[in-house]
Amino acid sequence: MSDVVEKLEDAALAVVAGLVTVAALVPYASIIVSTFINGFKAVSAVGLWDFLTSLPPAPGSGGYGGVGPSLAGTLMLTAVSTALGVPLSLLIALLTTEFPRNPFSKLIKGLVKGLLELPTIMAGMVIYTIVVIPMGTPSVLAGALALTVVMLPYVTTYFETYLGSVPRAYREAGYAIGLSRAGVVWRVALPLVKRGVLVGSLIGVSRALGETAPLLFTLGAARYYYPSSITGPGDSISLLIYNFAMMPYPNLQSVAWGAALILLASYLVVSLAIHLCVRGVEA
Amino acid sequence: MRVRGFKSRHDAVFFLTLLAPSTLVISFYVLLIKVLSEYSAPAFQAFGPRLITGAEWDPSRPAYGLLPAILGTIATSAVAIVIALPVAVCVTVFLNEFCPKVMARVLSSVINVMAGMPSIVYGLWGAMVLPDFLKNYVMLPLSRYLGFIPLFSCTPVSGWTLFTAGVLLAVMIVPYVASLTIEAYAQVPAGVREALLSIGARPHLVCRELLKLIAPAVVGAALLGLGRAAGETIAVSLVVGNVNYIPYCLFLPGETVSALIANNFPEASSYPLMINALYAAGVALLALGFVLNVAGLVLMGRWRRLVGNV
Repeated sequence: MSDVVEKLEDAALAVVAGLVTVAALVPYASIIVSTFINGFKAVSAVGLWDFLTSLPPAPGSGGYGGVGPSLAGTLMLTAVSTALGVPLSLLIALLTTEFPRNPFSKLIKGLVKGLLELPTIMAGMVIYTIVVIPMGTPSVLAGALALTVVMLPYVTTYFETYLGSVPRAYREAGYAIGLSRAGVVWRVALPLVKRGVLVGSLIGVSRALGETAPLLFTLGAARYYYPSSITGPGDSISLLIYNFAMMPYPNLQSVAWGAALILLASYLVVSLAIHLCVRGVEA
Repeated sequence: MRVRGFKSRHDAVFFLTLLAPSTLVISFYVLLIKVLSEYSAPAFQAFGPRLITGAEWDPSRPAYGLLPAILGTIATSAVAIVIALPVAVCVTVFLNEFCPKVMARVLSSVINVMAGMPSIVYGLWGAMVLPDFLKNYVMLPLSRYLGFIPLFSCTPVSGWTLFTAGVLLAVMIVPYVASLTIEAYAQVPAGVREALLSIGARPHLVCRELLKLIAPAVVGAALLGLGRAAGETIAVSLVVGNVNYIPYCLFLPGETVSALIANNFPEASSYPLMINALYAAGVALLALGFVLNVAGLVLMGRWRRLVGNV
């Protein structure tokens, strides 16, 4: 008798856990499906190339348009912030993995971990105060600096686990032939983690692509002309979605969906690339 | 020649080469503290404790009270974790106990990808798709049949409410919280499970015992999830309604601290003291997040040591 009750309890647990898991997947499916359907409508209204290169429609005009300047801005932001963030992350990760017991390393490791929990809008506020106010204008550079702060802990954490996985024997072989610690890092550890550097950069790119809050006060939302230099105002795909989603104009909301489709597709491609690279590294 | 603490002079030079760029992180923190304290000080001086406990937000007087936004942040984060934590635990149990290996691997990849998905994508969906659905199928029925509960007592006028923001935050933090609980569950030493199985425990019993064992990690995950939810800006400001009143019911539009900053910062310099009040809001946000995250990390750390010792 109690055996039957026990079996029922097992079944009940399995069914409840399974059903909740399936139900939990519904919102994510809805997000992806609605972004693809609404985004496809917006993109196909003008054609993919025009959507990626032309200017957005004016508010209230009722017309369609694209996200050209915003896309250019996102590409610039991603390039600059990755170029700054990835080397810096690698150096920090080398410090904390090569000298793990040093108090400075411990302090910096803790501070970098703390950045993970910093609300991203705070990064924007700080960069606004120390970069935008002195420069007198929001700029692509200021936005990229705020993004660098946001991506730093993610990329550093990845490099730390990755550098930590270099086998001890390889390092000892390096020391045995008389290499210094720097020599071992340069000739043994770094060549082994080449692919790790690629993955770290992709992790940085995937963060930089989608962040919005750090750019609110730093970038300038200049989306009706192409950015001419990194010290001038610009826009990003994410900021365009944020602003257009709040507008009462259906044509702008439609462009926001199209931009979200571009963003989601890029994010999924980068995630897939990370997944494939990580697999390749572990094999 | 040897330098104290290093194996050789080479090592010391290498250390300093790496330390120099790394101090940028320290200088960022110094700037963060300097900027926040310098800019928020005038607001604290002008309004005193009323800045935190006051409910009025009126640039013309000027009077700035952060209480509605602080309560809004607490309310939306609480709704989020109340929904997200049970879901995360169910996903953890299902993944580890009842799900075929291949499916478990696919599910955990999906969880990882969703955890990193840009918050603006969640936000756009939250602003365009979620409000109508929640208003018609969740909030209206709840207020009709459970209206005697104070938090459900008002009839929603629009779909952009504190409750909607809470649900959207739940969707956003489930992958994060679940990845933490899944990690904790997987860290339970195999011996514990084997011991339970060896005395003939059935799967639901094994589950119950393992969940009891990882309870501190689950609480830690909940606190870290709360910290995430409290700091989220973009998605929340698109759905929360941005109305600065003391929230007495979840089905009303409201405000959160981060959304308040996002919406008012661009024009703040045209009003006296507003920018200072917003930096003070930043201080409040940071303080709230600090408490939640430190508590969460301490619990997670204690749990990891516990597992490490077994």
